[in-house]
Amino acid sequence: MPLIAKVGRKKWKVKFLFIGITIFLWLGVVIHLFPVWWIFSSSLKGNVEIFAFPPTFFPHTPYWGVYKLLIKGASKLLPYPLWIYIKNSVILVVGVILLQVPLSAIIAYTLSKLHRPRWSRILFLFFVGTMFVPSEVSLIPSYLILQNFPFPSRSIPNIPFTNTTFPHINFLNTYWAVILPSMVNAFNVLLFKGYFDTIPNEIINAARLDGSSEIGILRRIILPMSKPIFAVVGYFTFTGIWGSFLWPLIVLNKPDLWPISVTIYKAQETIARLGISARPSSGEIEEIGFLGWNGIMALSVMESIPVIIGFLIFREYLMKGIKLRGFK
Amino acid sequence: MKKKLTKDEIKGRGFKYIGRTAWLWTIPGILIYIIFRWYPVLLSFVVSLQKYQILGKSTFIGLLNFNNLISDPMFFIVFRNTLYYTALSLALVFLPPIFVSILLMEMRRSVIAIMMILWFIPVGSIASVVLWKWFYNTQYGLLNGILVSLGLPTSGWLNDARLTMFCLVLPGLIMYGPGLIYIASIQSIPEEMYEAAELEGAGFWQKIWHITLPRLRPIIAMLLILAIIGNMQMFNQAYIMTGGGPHDVTRTVVMYIYRMAFQRFKFGYATALAVVLFFVLFVLIYLQRKYFKENPDI
Repeated sequence: MPLIAKVGRKKWKVKFLFIGITIFLWLGVVIHLFPVWWIFSSSLKGNVEIFAFPPTFFPHTPYWGVYKLLIKGASKLLPYPLWIYIKNSVILVVGVILLQVPLSAIIAYTLSKLHRPRWSRILFLFFVGTMFVPSEVSLIPSYLILQNFPFPSRSIPNIPFTNTTFPHINFLNTYWAVILPSMVNAFNVLLFKGYFDTIPNEIINAARLDGSSEIGILRRIILPMSKPIFAVVGYFTFTGIWGSFLWPLIVLNKPDLWPISVTIYKAQETIARLGISARPSSGEIEEIGFLGWNGIMALSVMESIPVIIGFLIFREYLMKGIKLRGFK
Repeated sequence: MKKKLTKDEIKGRGFKYIGRTAWLWTIPGILIYIIFRWYPVLLSFVVSLQKYQILGKSTFIGLLNFNNLISDPMFFIVFRNTLYYTALSLALVFLPPIFVSILLMEMRRSVIAIMMILWFIPVGSIASVVLWKWFYNTQYGLLNGILVSLGLPTSGWLNDARLTMFCLVLPGLIMYGPGLIYIASIQSIPEEMYEAAELEGAGFWQKIWHITLPRLRPIIAMLLILAIIGNMQMFNQAYIMTGGGPHDVTRTVVMYIYRMAFQRFKFGYATALAVVLFFVLFVLIYLQRKYFKENPDI
């Protein structure tokens, strides 16, 4: 309790302040947890109960039909079984983490420890400067170059003196369309560099004296020291890609490629289109194949569970004390 | 790689920067950043000067796209909306976690450990948006349901042009804040600083103002830039919840870019808009860096 004075803690004014803060904080917890609970409880409600008013706080009897239907892929909400969409999201996340995190780390390490200071400063601008040109600003060219990569239009020049065009690849509607542009992440380079800067040069010097190769130093000394920052960067990357919406919406147009975030949007669009007139009055969900907001909430649970697990792991690492540094 | 090190290097005085290895390791990064970042960035300036055609030949038309932008009434509307959203969101979504984190440290240790999880536990980003869209529904949404059962007049929520923008910001306030990062750095402030301040007669708010906030300043500055960049590019909430309505009061810049490019296929025009957004962002970041320094020399 650093803020509340040690002296005079028994005074009614101080007590009042403490109680006030406590009430405020617990109230905030309740307000925050209510919607979280609502997502989970609604996903376990049947088609009748989901529209009941006043709404039930606890589902009468937890009803797993919503999930069964989504897993089977027999609902009118989604064209494919649930696992297809989860698989898509997982592929994107794993692909980006495997490629982008090591890349960011190696860039940051060379900037921090290997390049001469003058070059380091220039390259720092080259890499981290991209942060000030956010990806949404170059959204359209990024899209255009993916179609006939690396050419930004359909008219591809010929290789000089021949009649064949330059080789080009269409990345649209492949996972690469999301993974490749995501390999650029200036913020992560910044985080890594801030951390590597705190590692004393003497450690590296000592290892070199012992005859360690540069790769050996990286693997045996730097990596074991840097676990917390890898956890932080991994978490940010994971939440960023798992929750990304606009870019996958643009470059992944086939329903069997949608990640879970796009899937939720498309499913709720289906409901909005059908309107509440399609609200079934009775009948088992599994027979008629119709899901409403309970289906959307079940998808939301699927999107949320990994985020929550990631958050809990992240908290453990963060509390071990990482150093987030500024821009300099 | 084994080489004799000079005396200076051994003592750590002259740290050895290994140029060759450094470049070798940096080159993949340089290539990827050029291909997937700088090349599209340069291209956006080129495309913004073109009547871009995805099938045929694109022709340069000078600043015509920008001229058309200025005479497009929607241009000003989307920028006004976006700036309004950013201001609202900085006040209601960016600031509260800072103060919540500070107040949280007043609790007992065991309470802090539980509360920081409960306060900041996140849900999926799109999950939170669709949940609130459901809450706001005027016919069967939870919020109007509560109002009805209390005997109060119902509200239009997302359909009420005066409320809509606030409705878009509210989920951010309630659902998630990046509070953990603040907590991590508040914990690193030595307790003695507060004790010393107390001896000099500093009260509750003075301690926050003179000790906690200055210590948090670098992190606040960094997250503020990210928040400005992120909010100026708001898309998800408005696209999913309102589609830009009612009467275009929630149509944001990125939504308009998306519509022009991917629904009307005016790539040149949309890119010109993106270039303007870039310059606006640049000015905002410049102002932020100028007036909110990370380490003011006190």
